[in-house]
Amino acid sequence: MYYLGVDLGSLSCDAVLLDHEGQIMAASVVPTGARNREAIARATQEVLDMARISEAEIKATVSTGYGRDRVEGRLAAVTEITCHARGAQALLPGTQVLIDIGGQDSKAIRLDGGGRVLEFAMNDKCAAGTGRFLEAMARALQVDIGELCELDRGAARNLTLSSMCTVFAESEVVSLIADGVEVNEIVAGLNRAIASRIAALVKRVAPDVAGLKVAMSGGVAHNGGVVRALSSALNAEISVPRQPDTVGALGAALVARERVLP
Amino acid sequence: MKQFFDDLAASTEARFLDHHTARLRFTLENARLCQRLYSGTHRLAWCGVCAPFDLLNAMGISSCFIEFLGAVLAATGSAGQFLEEAEHAGFLADSCGWHRAVIGAAAKGMMPVPDVMIATSSPCTGGVAAVEHLARTFGCPLYVLAIPPDDSESSIRYLADQIRHMVAFVSAHTGEALDDDRLRYAMHKTNEAREAAIEVFCLAQRTPSPVRAADLRNFGITLPLFLGTEAAVEIARAYRDDFSARLDQGISGVPGERFRLLWLQEAIQFRHPLIKMLEQDYQASIVVEELDDIYWEPIDVEDPYIGLAQRMIAFPFNGSADHRLKHIKKLVQAYKIDGAINPCHWGCRQGTGARGLINEALRELDVPVINLEVDCADSRNFSEGQLRTRLEAFIEVLGSRPGRRSTN
Repeated sequence: MYYLGVDLGSLSCDAVLLDHEGQIMAASVVPTGARNREAIARATQEVLDMARISEAEIKATVSTGYGRDRVEGRLAAVTEITCHARGAQALLPGTQVLIDIGGQDSKAIRLDGGGRVLEFAMNDKCAAGTGRFLEAMARALQVDIGELCELDRGAARNLTLSSMCTVFAESEVVSLIADGVEVNEIVAGLNRAIASRIAALVKRVAPDVAGLKVAMSGGVAHNGGVVRALSSALNAEISVPRQPDTVGALGAALVARERVLP
Repeated sequence: MKQFFDDLAASTEARFLDHHTARLRFTLENARLCQRLYSGTHRLAWCGVCAPFDLLNAMGISSCFIEFLGAVLAATGSAGQFLEEAEHAGFLADSCGWHRAVIGAAAKGMMPVPDVMIATSSPCTGGVAAVEHLARTFGCPLYVLAIPPDDSESSIRYLADQIRHMVAFVSAHTGEALDDDRLRYAMHKTNEAREAAIEVFCLAQRTPSPVRAADLRNFGITLPLFLGTEAAVEIARAYRDDFSARLDQGISGVPGERFRLLWLQEAIQFRHPLIKMLEQDYQASIVVEELDDIYWEPIDVEDPYIGLAQRMIAFPFNGSADHRLKHIKKLVQAYKIDGAINPCHWGCRQGTGARGLINEALRELDVPVINLEVDCADSRNFSEGQLRTRLEAFIEVLGSRPGRRSTN
């Protein structure tokens, strides 16, 4: 029997399939797009195909993410805070502070070291510092979002962006390009701005991260530049799992398995 | 507006005749107050939250704090146009929604012109400014009650003198006198309502609680509008009887109550599904709102001004944050609270400013807090999904605490 976790986020829909022992059989990430149900079906089908099993062999499904209530046939819908905590604990045992930056929100989660959430904080009413923000900046810089990861390399000017409002920051980036500022300087400035904002969120749940095991999940964790800037802002080493964007779906699959096999 | 409130009072009365519940009794009295405010025939005073409404009631003045109207507009789904009107007039969209709503309503001619206005320096200076703005808009006389932050003898005397002057001021501008018999009667009624309200809150503290969130929503902040009258006594006694009956029958407000929650500051006034979700999906019961409390002593019927001053000074949001924190801690212990929800009403510097201190104070009692960011009056900035995730995750955290059955 198998256990499925589905994380329907604003930018991507992720699925993770576990076997009876809790081992990861397959993981999939597809763009959410405008049609949630199609994204859910596609992500699910991909993991089924990878594992070469049929849907009937799935014992239980748990959904998470902002669209968690749209996943049909689920055993339960559990928030992404709990699921990311479970997933991080499985991949990086002993995590005490987890930073999850997704498509439209960011979260700082304080864990007890055993996967239990002690406290969490989410971004206020603003998408600054999230995946959407980075998408807008990549657009302004006319680069692919995947390229942003390494574009900060070699920056030395310590450029500061004056605004983290997505709209104003995009205008500022355009102005900086027009002024001839090097792209790596702009990207490094953006990364520092995001890191500063996320560090403030982290401090709400862990005023001092010294000595704590810090990890990062969510799609933005693929961006090495942001991780480096955040590590510098927090003065802490940040661990990132190999597939950070599927941590929530993994946590959901683990919850599904725990519910069936308590 | 007059027609709306006439219809509301009539329909609520009809429902009350069919279902004699305390909540409907309370709603009916609120509707009748709105009727009086918009009747065009009653003497009228728009006030700050802490005004001594029992005195104004004794003088025959229909009176109300301005934020009440903001809440009514939000609850009826009509606040948006008034909020926009205030914004068009230059008031910032991230200033307090209660005040923006009434300023917009006044600008659109949808707020009746009062005979007098009475501002109270507590709970917030924004409220004083809003009342002053309205007094200028209406061209009506304004009296400002400066409520001291401490309960020293001199502060109490200082405020008691102001209240006496306020009575003379209102009398001079309305022609309504406050005679001794009416004053004595009003204070008797205030004390009777106080006694009944204490019983209500004692019953609400039982485990499981007989309270559903919708029962007592706005009770603590709105009951003072009816103090000094038989209506306040009837409302409080109706709640006492309802809760007693539920407890006698073994009925809890939220069936299978699993979590007892404290709602800080004020409730979200526009329609939303989050409270129902907490109750039905998680058996999480908001057993108390922050102002659901009797924090004052009985008023001396023969010399009420000292007692009224003490009551105003003791208001939980008055004075230092420490005063408020002590009150919150008292509620947490009395109601055996598992977790607290702080809406952090957008635009309320008074409320959000104390957010960190509240977190710390409740952490000392091992009670988690979830901070929302919501304008309790403005549904245009309401992101249901975002708040739902915060609240559901909060319940998951509460459920995973040692000694709890896991919700995950």
